[in-house]
Amino acid sequence: MTRLAALLLGAALASTAAAAEPAPPPYLSELLAAARARHLADALAWRRLVHYRAKLLGGVEAAADGPGFYLAPGGKTDPAAELEATLTGFFAPAAPAAPPAPATPPARQHPQCQFPARLAWLSGELGIDRSRLPAPACPRLDEFRARVQARSVTLVFSSYYLNNPASAFGHTFLRLNKTAAPEAAKHFQLLDFGVDYAATVDTGNVLLYAVKGLTGLFHGNWNHYPYFYKVREYADYESRDLWEYDLALTPAETELLVAHLWELGSTWFDYYYLTENCSQGVLGALEAAAPRLELLRHLGLIVLPADTVKALFENPGLVRAVHFRPSIRTQFLARAGALSSRERGALRALIGSPAAPTPGLAPPEEARALDAALDWVDFVHAKELLDARVTPAADVKQRLMARRSTVPVQSQELVIPLAASQQPQLGHGSLRMGVAGGASSRAGPLAVYDFRLALHDLADPPTGYPALAQIEFLPVRVRYEPRHDALHLERALVVDVFSLSDFSRFDPHVTWRAGFGADTIRDAGCPGCLAGVAQLGGGLAQSFLGDAVTAYALTDAELAAAPDLRGLDGRAARLALGPSAGLRLRAGERASLLGEAGWRYLPWAAPRSTFDLRLTGRLHLRRTSLWLEIARRPIETEALLGVSLFL
Amino acid sequence: MRRVLVALFVMGLSISTYAEAKSTEAAIRGTKGRYGDAGCGLGSMAFGDQQGAIQILAATTNGTFGNQTFGITTGTSNCSGLSGAQATRLFIEVNREALAKDISRGSGETIGTLTWLNGCTDSNSVGATLQKNFSAIFPSESVSTDAVTEAVIKTLKDEKMLACQNLG
Repeated sequence: MTRLAALLLGAALASTAAAAEPAPPPYLSELLAAARARHLADALAWRRLVHYRAKLLGGVEAAADGPGFYLAPGGKTDPAAELEATLTGFFAPAAPAAPPAPATPPARQHPQCQFPARLAWLSGELGIDRSRLPAPACPRLDEFRARVQARSVTLVFSSYYLNNPASAFGHTFLRLNKTAAPEAAKHFQLLDFGVDYAATVDTGNVLLYAVKGLTGLFHGNWNHYPYFYKVREYADYESRDLWEYDLALTPAETELLVAHLWELGSTWFDYYYLTENCSQGVLGALEAAAPRLELLRHLGLIVLPADTVKALFENPGLVRAVHFRPSIRTQFLARAGALSSRERGALRALIGSPAAPTPGLAPPEEARALDAALDWVDFVHAKELLDARVTPAADVKQRLMARRSTVPVQSQELVIPLAASQQPQLGHGSLRMGVAGGASSRAGPLAVYDFRLALHDLADPPTGYPALAQIEFLPVRVRYEPRHDALHLERALVVDVFSLSDFSRFDPHVTWRAGFGADTIRDAGCPGCLAGVAQLGGGLAQSFLGDAVTAYALTDAELAAAPDLRGLDGRAARLALGPSAGLRLRAGERASLLGEAGWRYLPWAAPRSTFDLRLTGRLHLRRTSLWLEIARRPIETEALLGVSLFL
Repeated sequence: MRRVLVALFVMGLSISTYAEAKSTEAAIRGTKGRYGDAGCGLGSMAFGDQQGAIQILAATTNGTFGNQTFGITTGTSNCSGLSGAQATRLFIEVNREALAKDISRGSGETIGTLTWLNGCTDSNSVGATLQKNFSAIFPSESVSTDAVTEAVIKTLKDEKMLACQNLG
């Protein structure tokens, strides 16, 4: 009985509440009608602000996955409902002034505070008279704006860093500059704010890390931080050069971008390493702020950060200037390269001992030698120096600095010219496909189809890529033998990485490579079998004449498995160990020649050894390469002549 | 199929390098010494119980640990602004290694930034002054970042010619 009464009372209260709900203000009705009449929900700018994308089977879906980014219940898939809910939301009563609480969930802001870019755009389109809207206080938004003080925008590309899997392809983010001409105020760039979109990693488990990253189980979040964090992280700690692209955005677009980044900051997205990643996010934000730009359209199936930069250049006039912020490694090489032979001798001595005497050097010469030595310590011992413990490297650096400070010469700014040939946007397309014809001593005539999803190998055109690094994702080769009318998958590696380092006393880094996937065995152990393979190798490399000549020697270990393989004691798998040596010659940007010889000992398998000799020559013409490949293995010798196209 | 291949790809690439990154991180985390936990800076930013220079490897590159430390709407650190003495403190904390080197050389980007942050007139004079006082600012490699900060501020204050107006 009491329960029934309570129910009735509840219902009565609810209906009273509904009746007391004020009718929409006339001004809101007016705006809604105008928005409908003008089909604003179909406008490109609106689609971009909410990040709607066409679905495969019709309709649209917006990208944000966190709650609170949509004001309409079905806003994720209904642009019109979301637009009307947004307009309605702007009329929500302003909460009584309360101190800003950082703990408040972002979604609990007043819609005018949470969606400043939507407000700005709709105001412009509908000529909204802001004085007729409630005027909530937005202290957190105001603080954000005051902190970044954006007057111009720069897109930053951090170059490839092979020693971290997630950044092997580079990273892109935005810098909000406090000055209208960022290049004119280099010293303050450190205090500008960087804004990026990145996965928030919540696991230390390597398997989970890989799987979650690829299947969108990490949250992608927008973050901001003083630019100096990025400079210290990339340029010093990881020795990655930064490429900075100043963008020609109007002041209104810059303002809208800041407002929109704030909107994005209140939600999260499912993050996919290869598709919906940092580059996709950054370009999407730029497009939303400046609907005149076409950026995402220029991205391929897999989004590599370098493609982001190329997409900028597809919009003529968008990039105002390109700057280069050298990594500590690049700085050291530049300083060492500018030394006289006497100064270089002093540098060698100082690297041996910070107290080494440098007789006969004038103060400016001694300063130059010490400056190079300091960069060397920072470069070679970056990780150690970042560690809080006191280490021998920190001690060496301390002694070098103490000595340097007593030489009363102020160092000149190090000017490193922008190497045109290294600019990422000039690099070849990462997808490569080619065909070739040739002959094999065993199978007769051959035709080969060659494909690679990404990114670069040691014989590709060098422009825009690190001189001594190869990272290939999904290189595939299919082989047709007309005599047997047989089509084989010859090779399909999942990944193939080769990181060469010019070994010197100044740069004592080793050369390594790793790869795995499927490859064909061409020895008596299993002639012509496709086998699962994994390879790991380490050794040393040396470059001469710049990077025109590079020689390397490695010790490799390989594991191969195939059903018919006569491997370890007759099992279907075998181990291979042995040395490899290679040589690469480059003639400028136009031609490259790569040769490698490898011998392998096969313990407890038949046969007991195998070998592999290969020679590849390529001639690069704009977007195509002509190539010749000769390979010799125990069961056959083959030669191919082919052409490849970079897309 | 594509997803499986892709998954294998990243896993393979991860395993060798990730382990190393984790061990470096572990070495940095929780240790004290040259990187201290000064007021509003690194130590107090929301890296949970992680302290020290790991902050520089922030949660901003895919693949490093973090929990939205630098989120936009949720606010950044305790140091909301970037001006005045607090900003100098945060700046020195993160840029310690680069600053030490620049001070020993009497010039460089971090000195230019300090000049601007503290409202001094001329970065050349600031550089020369700091260089002369290197041994007072960095008497040893193990000096705490707090002490470095105090010494930098004192040096700039004491040299009236620099007219660093933000230092009062």
